[in-house]
Amino acid sequence: MLKNDLILQNPLRLMGYKAEEILTPGGFGAVLARAGVGKTSFLVQLSLNSLLKNKNVLHISLDDPVNKVNLWYREVLSRIADQHNIEQTNQLVETILPHRFIMTFRVEGFSVPKLEERLSDLTEQNIFSPQMLIIDGLPFDESIYEPLSQLKTLAQKNSLYVWFTMRTHRDETMGPDGIPTRLIKVADLFEVVVQLQPEGKEIHVKALKGEGADSDHPSLLLDPATMLIKDQTGR
Amino acid sequence: MENNIQKVRNIGISAHIDSGKTTLTERILFYTKRIHAIHDVKGKDGVGATMDSMELEKERGITIASAATFCKWQGHEINIIDTPGHVDFTIEVERSLRVLDGAILVLCSVGGVQSQSITVDQQMKRYKVPCLAFINKCDRSGANPLRVINQLKEKLGHNAVAMQIPVGLEADLTGIVDLVIMKAIYFDGDNGEDVRIEEIPDNLIDEALQKREELIDAASMFSDELMEAALEDQVTEDLLISAVRSGTLARELTPVFMGSAYKNKGVQPLLDAVTNLLPCPSDVENEALDMEDNEKSVILSSSPDDDLVAFAFKLEDGQYGQLTYIRVYRGTLAKGMTMVNVRNGKKFKVGRVARMHADQMEDIGKIDAGYIGALFGIECASGDTFASPGMSLTMTSMFVPEPVISLAIAPKDNKSQINMSKALGRFTKEDPTFRTHVSDETKETIIEGMGELHLEVYVERMRREYDAEVSTGKPRVAYRETITRKAQFNYIHKKQTGGAGQFGRVAGYIEPIAEEEFLFENKITGGSIPTQFISACEKGFRQSLAKGPKMGFPVTGVKIVINDGASHAVDSSEMAFQSAARGAFKEGYAKAGPVIHEPIMKVVVETPTEFQGAVMGSLNQRRGMIVGAQDEGPMCSIESRIPLSEMFSYSTVLRSLTQGKAQFTMEFNAYKQVPQQIMEELVEKAREEKKNVA
Repeated sequence: MLKNDLILQNPLRLMGYKAEEILTPGGFGAVLARAGVGKTSFLVQLSLNSLLKNKNVLHISLDDPVNKVNLWYREVLSRIADQHNIEQTNQLVETILPHRFIMTFRVEGFSVPKLEERLSDLTEQNIFSPQMLIIDGLPFDESIYEPLSQLKTLAQKNSLYVWFTMRTHRDETMGPDGIPTRLIKVADLFEVVVQLQPEGKEIHVKALKGEGADSDHPSLLLDPATMLIKDQTGR
Repeated sequence: MENNIQKVRNIGISAHIDSGKTTLTERILFYTKRIHAIHDVKGKDGVGATMDSMELEKERGITIASAATFCKWQGHEINIIDTPGHVDFTIEVERSLRVLDGAILVLCSVGGVQSQSITVDQQMKRYKVPCLAFINKCDRSGANPLRVINQLKEKLGHNAVAMQIPVGLEADLTGIVDLVIMKAIYFDGDNGEDVRIEEIPDNLIDEALQKREELIDAASMFSDELMEAALEDQVTEDLLISAVRSGTLARELTPVFMGSAYKNKGVQPLLDAVTNLLPCPSDVENEALDMEDNEKSVILSSSPDDDLVAFAFKLEDGQYGQLTYIRVYRGTLAKGMTMVNVRNGKKFKVGRVARMHADQMEDIGKIDAGYIGALFGIECASGDTFASPGMSLTMTSMFVPEPVISLAIAPKDNKSQINMSKALGRFTKEDPTFRTHVSDETKETIIEGMGELHLEVYVERMRREYDAEVSTGKPRVAYRETITRKAQFNYIHKKQTGGAGQFGRVAGYIEPIAEEEFLFENKITGGSIPTQFISACEKGFRQSLAKGPKMGFPVTGVKIVINDGASHAVDSSEMAFQSAARGAFKEGYAKAGPVIHEPIMKVVVETPTEFQGAVMGSLNQRRGMIVGAQDEGPMCSIESRIPLSEMFSYSTVLRSLTQGKAQFTMEFNAYKQVPQQIMEELVEKAREEKKNVA
């Protein structure tokens, strides 16, 4: 029951997506923002949204150790629970834990074949079969095209939804649609691109690509105090 | 005793079994003139090495218990803490590692980085102990120090860099080339005590130059000055050493030394390195916890003039009575002063203060901050913190987890019986997580602890150190019972079988609580149960908790509220209300959805990445839930939550899965409900046991 309450109140629904999932199976989504704006928090919320629907999420972090990622989940979940006056956070954590698997790599040690190997370790032994992949901290530099296309093949083969964080820089040149020019080459691989844009005291969640981009739905905000997604009315 | 903290080194020597740790220590003591003759570990003179002070150790040529010993080199005072090599992460190993500021990792030049070196290295990493490596046994056939350096890089992920190269190898090993001073060093005299410095032999000049360049490259990452000097080709010894030291203290560089302790080669330069490269106590930040401020961490100054904070890290029963090894972190511990044991608040006067040298000792008047010493006849447990009166700082958290596993033990004969009780007395003092009691039902001695391995180590120690042969039963998991919903009770206890009758009625409800083990609340109004019987009611309920009605496990997480009852002017008594409460508990409990809880452990396996899949499979098979996998270069660590009952003999399974290259740590995480199917199995097992007893 707790889970259902939270699913219904998830503000992501307001982003203008008609389908249950924002991405199609095998699809890529990216969250763009400068350092420290809230990319990880945003992705953890996307992940929690799936976890609450009993979908399996594999969270891959190239920046943080397992404990820290775990802490992110606990924090975000307890803030969401606080917001909705739900007391039994522990019970909630227990129900989502079996659906989540955290994998961390060092940036230099990460490669798609390695990930594939780990993934088959998990699936072949029936330990864990992910439906969604969160990849946090992948450096989007000149050499990104090849690993991304490998990942695309992997995602399509396994019908995975994949979300990435993408760090942008202050002096970055942007294309006409707001997507950094260095990503133009790989932009086709992504169905949805969302940007977290600090404006004054607020952080706006703007859809740069995907259904939300041209919808006339109110844009979402990321509350800088709690790092939680909310709509313009504050819900 | 001198008083310059910059010149103190508290170090450990860690190594794989048989890589020559004790021989190296013996040579160190000889060259520092603490001993005047060298006795080899398995020597023919029957004396044995000095650090191996226990009979058994001398006999078998291995070091079992840890001892702290002290020596002097080039004006520096070095305390060598002989760290236990066993893998099991008991509190004791943890404490030994805690008092080290730096370490020498000894590796065999033939065997290289072996699985236990991996374990030892992990321990160092966990406690952030800076270390340097010594590649021993370069005189053995098949010796290849350069291969070992590569293994240090590949298998342990160290940024290892050679500080020396050997002059000759295997049987031809004659000395070493020091890459800092660019000279060859030879060791003359019967015991290698005369160090002779010569020019580098021609055939080694090219190799030495190349290796020196590598060394400067690696070291210049830690010093801009050195980098500039290197560009101008003006590297000085001091610059190079200070850069290597910075890298070592940050644990980002591992300087590698080499030689053969047995053949007396390379030990003196290693001692120089200990004084030059490893940290002194004031280089290391030590934290204490403030008991009066919610265990908030406090950084300790290393000043000898501040209030005292000292830590007892090892107890030993020796020829001088109980000896407490102690490290002073702050202030000065002097004979005759008064100090407090922070754990129990007991004050006492310091008697003899000594410095230990394996099994000999030397009286000293005081121990300054940063130093290690020993006290006599102090009533304490290891892990206790001593402080000046009025202070509430402690070096370790006071939180002691409840034991999760128990084992019945029985002595094999009378002598063992006496020794066993001595051993148990000592172990319970040393380790607060190890407990013992005699079972009311079976009259067996039960030992309790934090895991199977934990108990096994103590049983083994009973055999080895106390000569107590004991047989052990099967390990048992400490299950618990609790309830899942609120339920009412209304129970009348009535007995009229001649003599004084008994009457009492207790009514109220029972409900689950998460935060506490047991809570009793009295909401009786109007005196339906007279006040003098309320405590009897609470007593009755408490009695019921010891053995749950469902399966006989202790009951926890229960709140009981009484709000009504009845008494009789003549027949009501304390006894009657205790019985009534027990009856009421049974009645309420049965309706409150009782369940069994089992201890869930946090299990972290550190394994070479190639075995990751197999290890995850093995964890998954044990009703485990894998939280995550962390890739750390050549190794990866897998964190999981697994019921303790599934973890029996896991060490054997893990060893065979990974060729002994993985290790795991296990600690208590939480109590969780046992799945229905497992509960049925437990009920069945309990029924069968009952039948067998009958």
